[in-house]
Amino acid sequence: MRENIIETKGLTKRFGKFTAVAGINLQIKEGEIFGFLGPNGAGKTTTINMLTTLIKPTAGQVAIGGYDLAKQGSEIRAIIGVVPQTFSLFPELTPEENLSYIGQLYGMVPEKIKQRTKELLETVSLYDHRGRISGIFSGGMKQRLSLAASIMSSPKILFMDEPTTGLDPQSRIAIRELTEKLNSEGMTIVYTTHDMEEAEKICDTINIMDKGNIIAKGTDIEIKHMIKEDHLVEIEIANPTKEIISELKKLPFVVNAHLEKGLINVYVKNKEGVFYKLTDFMHTRNQKVNEIRFKEHSLEDVFIHLTKKDLRD
Amino acid sequence: MAKRKNIVEKEKLLDYRKMWAIFQKNFVVITRDKTRFLPLLLFPIFMIVVFGYTSGTAPKHISMGVIDYDNSPLSSSIIQEISNSDTFSIKKMLSTEGEGKKLMDRGDISVLVEIPPNLERDVNNGIPASITVLVDESDSSVAGTSKQMLNLIINKVSYGIGAKKIEIFQSSVGEAGNQLNAYISQNVNSYGTIASKTSAADSTLMSAKEIIDYNVMALSKSLSPPSPLFFPSSYKNNNVNYSASTVIVPITAAYSATQAQIASLSGASALMAASSGNIHSAGSIAAQSDAAYQQTHEYQYYYDNVVVPEQQISNFKNYNTNALLQPLSYNEKPAYGTGKQAIDFLIPSIIALTIFQGAVMGMGRAVAGEKREGSLTRVFLTPTSNVTIILGTLLFYIIFEVFRSSFLILIAMSLFHIKIEGSLIAIGAILVVYAGVSTGIGMFLSSLVNTEQQYMGVSMLVSMPTLFLAGAFFPIESMPKFLQGLAGLLPVTYAGDALRGVMIKGFSLATIWYPLLMLCIFLAVTLGAVFMVFKREID
Repeated sequence: MRENIIETKGLTKRFGKFTAVAGINLQIKEGEIFGFLGPNGAGKTTTINMLTTLIKPTAGQVAIGGYDLAKQGSEIRAIIGVVPQTFSLFPELTPEENLSYIGQLYGMVPEKIKQRTKELLETVSLYDHRGRISGIFSGGMKQRLSLAASIMSSPKILFMDEPTTGLDPQSRIAIRELTEKLNSEGMTIVYTTHDMEEAEKICDTINIMDKGNIIAKGTDIEIKHMIKEDHLVEIEIANPTKEIISELKKLPFVVNAHLEKGLINVYVKNKEGVFYKLTDFMHTRNQKVNEIRFKEHSLEDVFIHLTKKDLRD
Repeated sequence: MAKRKNIVEKEKLLDYRKMWAIFQKNFVVITRDKTRFLPLLLFPIFMIVVFGYTSGTAPKHISMGVIDYDNSPLSSSIIQEISNSDTFSIKKMLSTEGEGKKLMDRGDISVLVEIPPNLERDVNNGIPASITVLVDESDSSVAGTSKQMLNLIINKVSYGIGAKKIEIFQSSVGEAGNQLNAYISQNVNSYGTIASKTSAADSTLMSAKEIIDYNVMALSKSLSPPSPLFFPSSYKNNNVNYSASTVIVPITAAYSATQAQIASLSGASALMAASSGNIHSAGSIAAQSDAAYQQTHEYQYYYDNVVVPEQQISNFKNYNTNALLQPLSYNEKPAYGTGKQAIDFLIPSIIALTIFQGAVMGMGRAVAGEKREGSLTRVFLTPTSNVTIILGTLLFYIIFEVFRSSFLILIAMSLFHIKIEGSLIAIGAILVVYAGVSTGIGMFLSSLVNTEQQYMGVSMLVSMPTLFLAGAFFPIESMPKFLQGLAGLLPVTYAGDALRGVMIKGFSLATIWYPLLMLCIFLAVTLGAVFMVFKREID
């Protein structure tokens, strides 16, 4: 059994009357890729900022790598790396200069900085661009450089706050592959994302956060299992409207309903006679059912089911 | 899991290597971002040029037309004087007033100067003459400056003429004085000769009188009794018979001759006595001449100190400017040094203001901008202490400001022809402390906010009062008391005082201790405030 490298108890952050993080308990194991999911405003970034010493928790205990967050911020900073949501480097500096500057701030010796800079720029395929001003780079290049800067000091733990948001597919894949490579070398990774598919693909453990609380945790299979008692029916009709969805929700046998990529997803408690009931309902609304079938739960379905809202709301 | 090698150094409160890294980073960032660096460098220069030429300086190169009816050396010297000044630029030489008025109506010229015929002749003869000046009053600043400057120029020329006349008069007085001196010394010599000759003659006469007196006495004795008889030698040698007739007669004759001799000797004695009297009176003349000589000296003194100045004054009055041109209207002298203009006293304030505004402007990026950009967050994520981050950042900007200020002073010196009277070390000391205060205030405000836009807002709170209370546009003395009090709370006031003291008045550091002390207090307070508000937490 691997040890917890990050452990929080009742971690809370309040901004005035607003509670951004409501006393969460996290257990992140050494060497895993920990997925942190949730819609915008769920409290993910606030949690990351607390764990990375950027903001002070209002309450709760945090231990990272055996250090107490409240007292040993400096020691924690020495063993973590962070890939922030934004570029967060100096656009006037070249990749080489940016990495060298970060290395100096970690107190690394000049030879090590040189060696590490070259190594990392090669890893993130920016070595050929090492002498150019970073400000003119594309989003993908900037994010790769940001990742390189974050692991300049060979941290034990790497926090990645939505590292692929807004990137093209190639860059997303590149970041994802780099993440897996770093993890295979032993680095613990805390990965925040909107992208369920991505989370399903690379995360060992997933925590879903909403309104400052952890609403689900476990492996993707475990989480999907959480809503197993509900059955999902997918219906294709010509003209799905919001009115139909809200009327569906009022039906006694329906747990929840929503629109997903033009298809109506309906959660029901009991499988029996459900096709007939739903087709009949559509008929009464003058809607022709093109197709109706049972569907496997995806993480996204779980998410929507649990939070009662779409991820990108 | 692979064993992780520790390559990270433990955090230190003050890490010089990291400070140096921050310093270098700031240098590269500031110099590489041309859109920021160039304005940052040029803005203060632009400010100093604009401030320097707009505050306290009069309009320049006012276009002028000139009509010269006199065409004399004097009139051309007046025109030369006008064209030498920066205030005017002579656009055209005209021949009639009507022509000039037409140009003025068109707005081609703002001032018309008319030099009357026979100006030089009248001036030389002491006849009052005047130069007519027509000014376009539509621009009051141009009109005011023109009148004042022309008044000055004409007075200057007029004084020049007066001074020349005085010079000529002084040289003629000097010549007369020389003549008088020569006359006196010549006379004194002759008096001296008379006196010495007189006394020599006196003693010769005295001894001559003694001999005569002796001989008179001897002759008198030989006459009564007549023995031994005195015979002329001829008688002794001839051995003839001595009859009464032959003897008495010659004796009687001899006696008579002797009597005559005595009488003549007595006469000589009387003459001598008389001449002795004359000699004595000559002596008294010599004494009198000495006294006269003394009096002459006194007169010379009186003449030099009373008569000559009186004459000069009366002559000067005759040639006075009143008779020539307009009365004096401007005769203000600066309190320090010579050749200083009012602008010289403003320049230090302008420099102080510009340094402040430049420093405050530059600090927006330093903290707030990096916060916004996220790059400061990246620094916060490293084991680098706040003290190191703050000092590393301040150190760079202070040095940058000192360089920029020195550059600025050099520009001000060449643009406004200012000579630094005091020591450069003193100026350097002021600049370092003041740059610390200015960048410190900028960093303080920058730490309070999260974006450069917000920074623009809060920095106005200090930059606007500084702009208007620096004394660069409006004299502080003429402001209401509460504004004067407010000016006393601004570092720019003390920096201006300190720089003025050293640059213009040539004061040493010891003399400007008060403003310098105030700046040091500002520095301490500012740095304290920066350490208080610089938070590692991000919002």
